[in-house]
Amino acid sequence: MLIAVVLLTLLALVFGVVLGFAAEKFKVEGNPIVDQIEALLPQTQCGQCGYPGCRPYAEAIANGEKINRCPPGGSATMEKLADLMGVEPEPLTATAETQVRKVAFIREEECIGCTKCIQACPVDAIVGAGKLMHTVLASACTGCDLCVEPCPVDCIEMLPVKQDLRTWDWQLNAIPVKTL
Amino acid sequence: MAFKIASSPHINRQLQTSTVMQRVLLCAMPALVVQCAFFGWGTLIQVILAMTVAMCAEALIMQLRQRPVIHTISDNSALLTAFLLGVAIPPLAPWWLILIGTAFAIVIVKQLYGGLGQNLFNPAMAAYVLLLIAFPVQMTSWVAPITAAQHSVSFLDTLHIIFSSSQIAVADTYRLGIDGTTMATPLDTLKTDLHSGITTADSLQKLIFNGWAGKGWFWVNLTYLAGGLMMLRLKLIRWHISAGVLGALFICSAVAWAWEPLTHVSPLMQLFSGATMVGAFFIATDPVTAATSNRGRLLFGAIIGVLVYLIRSFGGYPDAFAFAVLLANISAPLIDYYIKPRTYGHLRG
Amino acid sequence: MSLTASTEHTVLWPLTGGIHPPEMKLLSNTTPIQRLLPANEYFLPLPQVGETAVLAIKQGQRVLKGQPLTRGISAMYLAVHAPTSGTIAAIEPRPSNHPSALPVLTCVLQSDGLDEAVSFTAASEPLSHEQILQRIRDAGIAGMGGAMFPSHIKLNPASKIKRLIINGVECEPYITADDRLMREYASDILNGVALMQQLLQPETTTIAIEDNKPEAAQAMRQALAASTLPQCSIQVIPTKYPSGGEKQLIQILTGQEVPSGAIPAHLGIVVQNVGTAFAIQQAVYQGVPLLERVITVTGSNIEKPGNYWVSVGTPIRHILEQTGFKATPDSKVIVGGPMMGYTLSTVDVPVLKGSNCLLLPQAQELADAPQERSCIRCGECAQVCPVSLLPQQLYWHAKAAEYDKAENFHLQDCIECGCCSYVCPSDIPLVQYYRVAKAAIRKTREEKLHAEHAKMRFEARSLRMEQEKLEREAKAREAAEKRKSAMSGNEKDAVAAALARVKAKQAAQGAVEESPAPTTADSKATIAAAVSGIKAQNQETSGSNVTNQEDKKAAIAAAIARAKAKKIAATPTLTETLTASAPAQAADKKAKVAAAIASAKAKRTQAADTPNTEAQLSAPNATDKQAMIAAAVAKAKARKAAVENTSAEVDNAAVTVEASSAPTTLTESTTDAAQKARIAAAVAKAKAKKASSATATEAPEKTTAASTIAAAAKQHTEGNMPETVNTDGDTHASVSLSDDKKARVVAAVAKAKQKARERAREQENN
Repeated sequence: MLIAVVLLTLLALVFGVVLGFAAEKFKVEGNPIVDQIEALLPQTQCGQCGYPGCRPYAEAIANGEKINRCPPGGSATMEKLADLMGVEPEPLTATAETQVRKVAFIREEECIGCTKCIQACPVDAIVGAGKLMHTVLASACTGCDLCVEPCPVDCIEMLPVKQDLRTWDWQLNAIPVKTL
Repeated sequence: MAFKIASSPHINRQLQTSTVMQRVLLCAMPALVVQCAFFGWGTLIQVILAMTVAMCAEALIMQLRQRPVIHTISDNSALLTAFLLGVAIPPLAPWWLILIGTAFAIVIVKQLYGGLGQNLFNPAMAAYVLLLIAFPVQMTSWVAPITAAQHSVSFLDTLHIIFSSSQIAVADTYRLGIDGTTMATPLDTLKTDLHSGITTADSLQKLIFNGWAGKGWFWVNLTYLAGGLMMLRLKLIRWHISAGVLGALFICSAVAWAWEPLTHVSPLMQLFSGATMVGAFFIATDPVTAATSNRGRLLFGAIIGVLVYLIRSFGGYPDAFAFAVLLANISAPLIDYYIKPRTYGHLRG
Repeated sequence: MSLTASTEHTVLWPLTGGIHPPEMKLLSNTTPIQRLLPANEYFLPLPQVGETAVLAIKQGQRVLKGQPLTRGISAMYLAVHAPTSGTIAAIEPRPSNHPSALPVLTCVLQSDGLDEAVSFTAASEPLSHEQILQRIRDAGIAGMGGAMFPSHIKLNPASKIKRLIINGVECEPYITADDRLMREYASDILNGVALMQQLLQPETTTIAIEDNKPEAAQAMRQALAASTLPQCSIQVIPTKYPSGGEKQLIQILTGQEVPSGAIPAHLGIVVQNVGTAFAIQQAVYQGVPLLERVITVTGSNIEKPGNYWVSVGTPIRHILEQTGFKATPDSKVIVGGPMMGYTLSTVDVPVLKGSNCLLLPQAQELADAPQERSCIRCGECAQVCPVSLLPQQLYWHAKAAEYDKAENFHLQDCIECGCCSYVCPSDIPLVQYYRVAKAAIRKTREEKLHAEHAKMRFEARSLRMEQEKLEREAKAREAAEKRKSAMSGNEKDAVAAALARVKAKQAAQGAVEESPAPTTADSKATIAAAVSGIKAQNQETSGSNVTNQEDKKAAIAAAIARAKAKKIAATPTLTETLTASAPAQAADKKAKVAAAIASAKAKRTQAADTPNTEAQLSAPNATDKQAMIAAAVAKAKARKAAVENTSAEVDNAAVTVEASSAPTTLTESTTDAAQKARIAAAVAKAKAKKASSATATEAPEKTTAASTIAAAAKQHTEGNMPETVNTDGDTHASVSLSDDKKARVVAAVAKAKQKARERAREQENN
């Protein structure tokens, strides 16, 4: 009886020490799953998921938020998230229409220079000054849509990115065959 | 005018899958003739039966999968599978045996995995193993070579035996009437003898052997070897798998035979018995279920060769080709994973 | 001198894989290189090789043969030259000579038939290293084997070059352009090789020719024997496709492999095409830019197959017409050879510097590949792959869009030679799968980069916003302290300062995205100016509203309608923010006074007139007339207010007290609603002022002068985004805007106002 008690106590002690040591030694900084999720998100910072940016949404997913809230990422991102989180893929909340990469375009002759879009842009992709025409840096634009709403004169539109010779995807069937 | 858009290259060797399969079948034809000459019409009937069933099964499945039927069955791959199964089962086996086997090969082993190119196992061998396990009696009673039998069985008699409703009864009458028509294969005989303490040399004196190999079997294997060499020449197959099989089998049996000739089968007999040659050139070389790279194929062949030797010598079945091929099929993806050719400009593969 | 010339290496390494397609070279290599009639039109894509170039010509301008059409400074830049004399008919997007035929910016040169050339300066004395490179660059010479890589870069490597290989292999079936060039211009090619040797100083030079071109090899041998090239040899290699690939040729000649992702220069090897050697010789010795090249026009759909000198930029349609193209339904036009060439969907595309062949096969000659069948894993593709890939594994992964796995099988090392597709018994267009996969991989990679970039920008922005917020708070605190100390002071500035503080507080509380960060020392005055800036802006725009022309009404009406529609559809989320365009200046005293007065007035007016002003402004009418009536009403009211407030202008102390306690005494709150209302009031008042000075129909210069200065100061205060662009110090910038612009501004302001007002009302209701 005594032996058993002593033994169990000793065992508990030993394991306690081991666990404590392990907790110190192999301490995990931050939450690695959040980083992994964030790496999968498209970093548009568009907020369409309802969170202010991609990082907050990644944190929310890690805490059990649904994985289908990211329209810019499309179903590909959703599937990767499902894979990572070990949950069933679900259809996107938004329609998959946003699959084509789009960038904002300011119709410059209509722009009044109100700077509202500049303030709305989460990635500082719009340049311009008050009462002067603004323009979008197409290379930095994430196509998040956030600048469209604030524009008082509706001069911002989302244009699909055109293919050029360098980015052509070799879809031979897509070439229009002209009948001469 | 409209100009046609196409992807490069714009020329093709014009050697289609169907042609390849057709040529392989042609290379195997002489062996079929020799087999019929030694074992009667049974083999031919089985082959034709198998081919018919295979085409029907493939067409049916294609219909069900809503794929182009003609386009698929015209690739001749089902014919080749049927041929290999047809020559592998006993010539006087009942008709339903080949029917079950072929249907299983095409429907389960091939099409359920996604059709040509997708199957993990060699369809003919998988079907053979199924039959061997499910119907051991029918699958192990081989016809004796005609030279060994007193009577040859006519074409009509053969048909009668195969399609008779009470097959076993009829076969028994024939078996009773024509002594020695069906018996164990030479490898089987030899194995039984070795187990009962008879030396190889003594066993080889039996009627079924011609002195150092099974009667008829030797010639059948020789024709398959010729057919295989023809395929190599036509570049229908590459040498790696066949060389692996034959090399490994030869080396294993040679070592054992050199160590104790009395209780071991000679390497030559190993090479010219049973399904060795048809297996090495026509079965193991099925590219779908084999490894991909050259070195991988050599290893793949060697695995088959070693397994054949091991099962023949120590296993429960006298001929082991089907098992060996299936086991090697399982390992093919693993081989492909580890043996990759070194790409140009890379230090390792 | 030529002790070592024409020594042949006997050691050759075998090519991995490879195939022997039917050569079909006799079709075109039996006749000498001919010339075609010049075309009427030339298409010159801008720029062909290398990006970042500017046009040096204008539409309608006459250019001479050899005149560069573009200027550029980047290292990769190559000039585009006019192939003949004529006028630039158009500069517009035209279909490109590319499998996609996507339009690219193209100069259309209308030939005048004179073929007048600029004077080419032949090299008189021996040229220096740099001079040669400059000449090569100016001549626009790009690799003529097809890759079109600028030659001056390849010939100016960073590392030591041990071996120069001249590629005369031409392994693709049908193509004989290099074959004929070597037969007819062997010594010229060797002159080019000599120049390359001078530039690269290689230990050995090898000219590689396939053994199916014995005449070319013989011609080159003879020329070599007659020349003085050091350490140069002709190497005949066995015919096998694709021996002519740069990496494959290096493997055959040296046994070395170019490491994946590296260039041959890493091994101390440079490979140049014979055509390039010829062009370099012309450029350096004669000063002639790369204007024309030899192109093989062949195939059984052509009446006169052969090799032709063709100007770069010649429409392919012209070549086909000249050589007797027999168009049949479903005929193919292939640029390049049958193994790697691509089909054109239109023949109205130009010949490029790298176009070496036009292949016009008959339907039965190069039969279309039958329908793709299942892969039977026969492994023939792996047997013939010259880079030892496992094409069938790549195929599985590419087909399943598992591009990461395809990358593990070294998809990026695929040279797209087409051997695998050639031997495939199931007629699988493997190369096409790989191209699509490669494009997808490239896209994914770029997207990833883009996402990383976006993340960085987002984080930088968040950081900045945080900092600005802190700064703003600090400023507000500082201002509050100053105000306390300034309470005893009796300067006019104090009024402004007080107002500014109120404003700053409100801004800090109410602004959603506003980012004011005063940077000047004289913050009090500038903040005050900013306050009046908003008003002045409204005032000015209102003024221009009155001066509107008839034709702008429609635009305004439309804008207002749009704004209304938008209002209904969406909820306003942003505070009103108006920034100025004039540069920041030190606000002078007068301006400050004016600003202070204005703001004080605004306070009063707002207190008195808010309901009325709102009534007037909440009806932004579509017609000018109505607007004017409304303005007049407001004016009258505002004038009254102004009269009432005359005393307020002098009574500093009172205003100061009032202003400093503004949040409570005036409007009872510091909400946005109050701010909005004040601004609206200010607008009305400003209109009134204008009316009183009888400048209602003209641009109110005086008032706007003050206001722009104020606005400028305000801009300063607001601490604009880093990207903010300042125009130079024209204080009348906003006044001198075009009428058109004004109209839009008015419309926008009207919209913005309404947005603000509605919100104000909402909050009042709350």
